[in-house]
Amino acid sequence: MSESDKARVLFVDDERRILTTMRMLFRGDYQMFFANSANEAIEFLKRETVEVVVSDQRMPGMTGVDLLREAKDLRPEAMRILLTGYSDLDAIIGSINEGEIFRFVNKPWDNKELKATVAQAVEAARTTREAIQLSRKEAEPGSPAQSNLPATLVLDEDPSVAPAIQHMLGDQYRVVAAATIEGAIEIMEREAVGVVITDTRVQNQSVVTLLSTLKEHNPELISMVVTARADAGMAIELINQGQIYRFITKPLRETQTKITVASAINQHRRMSRHKQLSQRYQVQKSAKPKADTPPLASALLNRIRSLRRLVTG
Amino acid sequence: MKFVKLFFSLVLVVAALGGLGFLIQKTQAADGQKHLERLAAMQKINDLDVALNRAMTLNRASSLQLQSGNKAEIIAGLGDALDDIDSGDNSLRGLAPQIDQDLDRFIATAGDKFVLAYDFDIRSTQIIQRLIRSADAVPLYTNQSKNLVEPGGHVDDLLSRLQTDAMAVIIATNPEARLLEGIRSQLVMLNAAVAPDQAALTKAAGQLEFAIESVIADKQELVKQLDGFFTAPTAQDLQTLRDTYTLWHEARVSEAAEYRQYLIAYAVALLLILAWLGLRLRRSFIELDRANETLEAQVEERTRDLSTTLKELQNSQAQLIQSEKMASLGQMVAGVAHEINTPLGYARGNADIVKTSLSEVQEVSRLQGKALQLIADGSASEQDIAQAVSAAVALDQDLGTQELLDELDSLLGDTDHGLEQIAELVSSLKDFSRVDRSRDDVFDLNRGIESALKICNSSLKDSIEVKTVFADIPQIECSPSQINQVFLNLITNAAQAIEAAGRDNGRLFIHTSAQNEGINIRILDNGCGMSEDTQAHIFEPFFTTKPVGKGTGLGMSITYRIIEDHGGRIDVKSIEGKGSEFNLWLPLKQPDVAAAGDTAAAAA
Repeated sequence: MSESDKARVLFVDDERRILTTMRMLFRGDYQMFFANSANEAIEFLKRETVEVVVSDQRMPGMTGVDLLREAKDLRPEAMRILLTGYSDLDAIIGSINEGEIFRFVNKPWDNKELKATVAQAVEAARTTREAIQLSRKEAEPGSPAQSNLPATLVLDEDPSVAPAIQHMLGDQYRVVAAATIEGAIEIMEREAVGVVITDTRVQNQSVVTLLSTLKEHNPELISMVVTARADAGMAIELINQGQIYRFITKPLRETQTKITVASAINQHRRMSRHKQLSQRYQVQKSAKPKADTPPLASALLNRIRSLRRLVTG
Repeated sequence: MKFVKLFFSLVLVVAALGGLGFLIQKTQAADGQKHLERLAAMQKINDLDVALNRAMTLNRASSLQLQSGNKAEIIAGLGDALDDIDSGDNSLRGLAPQIDQDLDRFIATAGDKFVLAYDFDIRSTQIIQRLIRSADAVPLYTNQSKNLVEPGGHVDDLLSRLQTDAMAVIIATNPEARLLEGIRSQLVMLNAAVAPDQAALTKAAGQLEFAIESVIADKQELVKQLDGFFTAPTAQDLQTLRDTYTLWHEARVSEAAEYRQYLIAYAVALLLILAWLGLRLRRSFIELDRANETLEAQVEERTRDLSTTLKELQNSQAQLIQSEKMASLGQMVAGVAHEINTPLGYARGNADIVKTSLSEVQEVSRLQGKALQLIADGSASEQDIAQAVSAAVALDQDLGTQELLDELDSLLGDTDHGLEQIAELVSSLKDFSRVDRSRDDVFDLNRGIESALKICNSSLKDSIEVKTVFADIPQIECSPSQINQVFLNLITNAAQAIEAAGRDNGRLFIHTSAQNEGINIRILDNGCGMSEDTQAHIFEPFFTTKPVGKGTGLGMSITYRIIEDHGGRIDVKSIEGKGSEFNLWLPLKQPDVAAAGDTAAAAA
């Protein structure tokens, strides 16, 4: 493999020793670029294209989240990974909603996992380069067309949430409600659902496994988390394992909800048209499921697996 | 308003007193004493009048004698008495028109009477002298005549009778008409008895008749004058005056009585008003008493409320301070976690890389060892040796072992550095978060600043150039964790100010020096600075220039309190857009360790 055929990866950290480690770690695998600050990285991205950007969060001048948001605008095809020693909840939510990052990696990292993550990101970037350019060339519809509009499923134990969202969205959108995971799967078996809106916990059970399984088998299904119980660890799991599209804290505001759901529906349609795009939203296989989140019953998992046909069909 | 009310009340009181005075004066109109004196004066006049009359009567009784001495006395007394009631102490003039009129009449009558009395004295003297002369002439002519007539005869008898009767007329107070008629008839008889031829007798008889007639005429005139005196109506007029005066006086008395009634009514009314005022006053006092009681209760209640509120405030203040502590702790933990995880990240990554690479180097080493063994072992074929050597060289070249080893060495150096950094940070943390036993711990402020800087490193980063000038300063008594919190607050603030200013060449300058039995610390930054308004409020609780939710606004007020609790001073100088300077001074010794311990416990 010649040097020029190698994927291009940009590492950004204000600690040069981190960059040294990265160079040694990925030595020979990629064509690597290093930036010592966010501004340097932006300057580089303006000139060059890369497959993957790996950035620290805490840097003088500009945070990693802000840099990745810029990177998304400058190089939308580049996959974005946040590698950070510590991030507060706001930063994590920002990285999800604004940075649309692929992975959130905590320092200290595991070399193998990091290598696998970067490799996955590189693969996704390479296989979807054309698709993403194509999809971006398509005119963004101002509002989703009335016909064939997939439903928005609201999974929340609180029965008042679904009507509230329906009210905010208006008649254009069809909102269906479920109070249990089983109920949600039943609905998905019955009808086409494009977007799932859920709280972080349903029936005292984390939705990470559910969202992860759904994403794994139905990549076109866009999931959003709406919660009043935001928690940093949970948010990181949701992005890494659930590939959630947006993370919203309650209380819901009408405009925000409307814009977010419209954008989620568009995302769903784009992904339905360009199946390769799902590469960019691969979930991380949970190495060890958390003790308090028992895996979904295998029966349910099977039902989810068989959903694909229904959702896409 | 209050003045107007006071003035109004004063006018009311004056009016009430004026009314009272008027009524009292009215009731004094009938002066009993004066009245009696006036009556006595009038009585005196009456008595003198009577005495004068009597004197005159005596005069008449003995017409031939004048007792003018006594009379003059009476008249003088009477004049004085009249003056007394006319214009003296007991004057009746001016009391009433009717009285004046009666008084005038009485005085006029009395004056006439005086004139009469005076006249009488003069006239009656003439008359009496004439009468005496006439009376003397009667016996003379009687005797002349008698000498001419035969004694014991009719004429002689007549003459005797005439003389006797004439003497009777003189003596009588008021000669009776019968006597006068008798004399007249006797005179006629005498004339008849005297023959015309008896010239001497006729003449004597004629002269006698003339004398008798003079006596009668004079006597009659005298009587008439006396009668005029006696008939002067002084007593009557005086009575009238007295009656008029008495009537007036009675009117005055009744008027006074009437006014006395008014006075009583008025006094009763005033008393009632006074009683009403008294009642009102009493009621006011009762209300005041009650108000006082309720006031006490209210004050007690308010005090209770206030102390409850105070307690709540203290609680919430403690909560806020706690939440500020937690917020800054959270911030600190975030910073520290990042600070630790970054070196930990590359140290661990490097160690892993070294481990992986070492196994590759081991492979090279193994191949080289194998080749060496073959060389050393004489039995090995040349070809085997060449193969083994070339395999070892190929792998060595492929790996670039020498370079790899150099790089691994460098990685291990980084790792070492990272671990050292972590160790330092952990040590700083230990220093920083030490639990103070009391305020009298001795503490090196330079070390405190260093550990705070280390903890803040993530927010200072490379973009801020930190310059410290530490003098050789003595340790001071203080609560190290609190003082560290102050440094952390000030350094974090400076970093935020530099970040807010968007400077690439941020500079933080910290300078310590021993000064005035204490330590002076200057912390300067070239951040965004503060407006004068911000400087004025910076140490006030809840004052913050950060967006909502980014700061409790307690950091600087806690800083201020900690410094103040330590008996130190803090002030700030700042130029907007240029930077700020915080100047701290902390004393070497804490004055009262026990009290300081209390506040330290409260602040904890």
